[in-house]
Amino acid sequence: MKRFGYTLAILASSVLASACTDDLTPTDTNTPPPGSTSGDQSTTFDHDNSGISPWELLDRLTQEGPPRYTAHVHSCPKVRYRTLGAVLTSLGANPANTTSLSAGDLYTNGFTALGGPNYANRIRENIGITTSGASREFDIFAAAADEVIAAFGDPTSALMQRCPGATLFDATTNACSPSGITCIIGTPATSRHLDYCNLTVTSASDPTVGKRLAVAAMLAAAYTCE
Amino acid sequence: MKRISLVLMAAALAAPACSSSGNGGDTTGSGSDMTGSNGDQWDQALNDRVVDYSAALRIAALRLTGDLPTMDEINQVANAPDDASKKTAYESLIDNYMARPAFARQMFYFWRDTFKQGEAADLDTAPAFAAMLSVNNGAYTDLFTASSGNCPTFDEGTGAFTPADCANGGPKAGVLTNPGVMKQFFSNFAFRRVRWVQETFDCVKFPAEVSDTPTNVGGSSPYTGVWPFKSIATTMDKGGTGRVDFQDTSAVICANCHTTINHIAPLFAYYDMNGQYQTNISVPTPLDGAPPAQMTDYLPAGETTAWRYNVPAADISALGADMAQDPAVAECGVARIWNWALGKQDIVDALEEVPSDVIATQVANFQSGGYKMKDLIRAVYTSDDFVKF
Repeated sequence: MKRFGYTLAILASSVLASACTDDLTPTDTNTPPPGSTSGDQSTTFDHDNSGISPWELLDRLTQEGPPRYTAHVHSCPKVRYRTLGAVLTSLGANPANTTSLSAGDLYTNGFTALGGPNYANRIRENIGITTSGASREFDIFAAAADEVIAAFGDPTSALMQRCPGATLFDATTNACSPSGITCIIGTPATSRHLDYCNLTVTSASDPTVGKRLAVAAMLAAAYTCE
Repeated sequence: MKRISLVLMAAALAAPACSSSGNGGDTTGSGSDMTGSNGDQWDQALNDRVVDYSAALRIAALRLTGDLPTMDEINQVANAPDDASKKTAYESLIDNYMARPAFARQMFYFWRDTFKQGEAADLDTAPAFAAMLSVNNGAYTDLFTASSGNCPTFDEGTGAFTPADCANGGPKAGVLTNPGVMKQFFSNFAFRRVRWVQETFDCVKFPAEVSDTPTNVGGSSPYTGVWPFKSIATTMDKGGTGRVDFQDTSAVICANCHTTINHIAPLFAYYDMNGQYQTNISVPTPLDGAPPAQMTDYLPAGETTAWRYNVPAADISALGADMAQDPAVAECGVARIWNWALGKQDIVDALEEVPSDVIATQVANFQSGGYKMKDLIRAVYTSDDFVKF
């Protein structure tokens, strides 16, 4: 966009300039940095000086690339809170389940951890992946695994309505099925998905635990990014 | 210059000067690679992308409907025999998604996030209005110019909009006069409302107008605005008529931002803390006792309100008309839809910059096609960049 940057450049310069000193001991933590517009009636009144850190920005540019690249490609946002609820429903889990530590309970009580919006304070939903958000999402999928597996056996479940005829595990061999994996991850399963699923099932202490782990792991991987 | 480029430049200039070991420049070593333009690693990475309609479908379903694609939809794309057939199947599903009530919900939530308000009846009418324009293929410019039907309600259960007029009195100009917006962003001098307008619809923080020829005004840094430095108010002890010295240079050059802000803010100052239009300025000042603001606090005699330098706006309807004609506002609208589709965070808060050339085609079509919202969304979700990974 046009005119990007003047204030941030000034901010960056002041931050960088202050970073030049060998003396790392702050002299007065209440004194705003040079260029700040925080103040009082005798100076500049109070302004919101929050904003992206130049250092964080530089780090991001170094790792992810410049805007002329990043603007062309998909980012990896977390699944939005409401969307996660809909996804759980589509997977056969009940996001309104109030049973302690059920997927629904973890979802409902995870609004803040999952970065839900706080419009009262003019804050939009945070779609960045955070440690707390990713951890909570993985917990939800781990808790939802049994519900998801059970939904494959219920023709009336939301999952089977969305994926009629799909099977996740062979009833006798416990082998993973591509149709079931495709259904739960939302994109065609590859041989690597299948191999991973089967390896997880066969490596576990028993097939039931293995299936649960396989489902939770595939969901966690598939829904790290929306 | 681009904001991010300036940050990199500042780092490049400052870091070597800091070094005592002689190799401080290494801290920006990756910068030259990142800003090069002759087929560097990033160009190569772009060239290496391949079309994957199945992956695109999953993302599109989650964004446009808030849910996973069905097995049948997945197979429609996956089982298509060639790329041309996959493209046809994919684009058909995009149209299908955008015809569903779920799309209306998703747009409603998108605009809640964009406007940073909602989840209360009075705060939801602005997101609902923007969502209604998006679903009905209305013009983006109506967000600034519509004189009626600006406060619809939205039923999340059915995905239906119910048109309604805003009942807060005064002139009507899209969401610029929305009572929920005025309430949500109420503040001293109405400056928070101005910032909301600037960042939401121009995608740039203040300062919004930067001159190529900085002026020495006696401060520690030059004045960089395009307006005459003395076009905003100062205090009586300095020969002005106001109670706040916007020409102050002791801490920062206030005028860099306030020359633009002060020419807009009075237009929003007639809405009280509940968003109701009043015949007198109804926002406070940060002075002792929080007295109401006065016009002379913003501008000296002879100065008039304006969207930008040499773009006067006598009232809020004129401001909306100015914004509707501003190419930067149109580009910002496209950039916000682009960033939503591609999973970016807020373009202002997170500096998720979209270079103009990346969206040039979409912007040109948006402008020539009458700023149609649904057309824009479809164009973005079917663009090459969206379907390549």
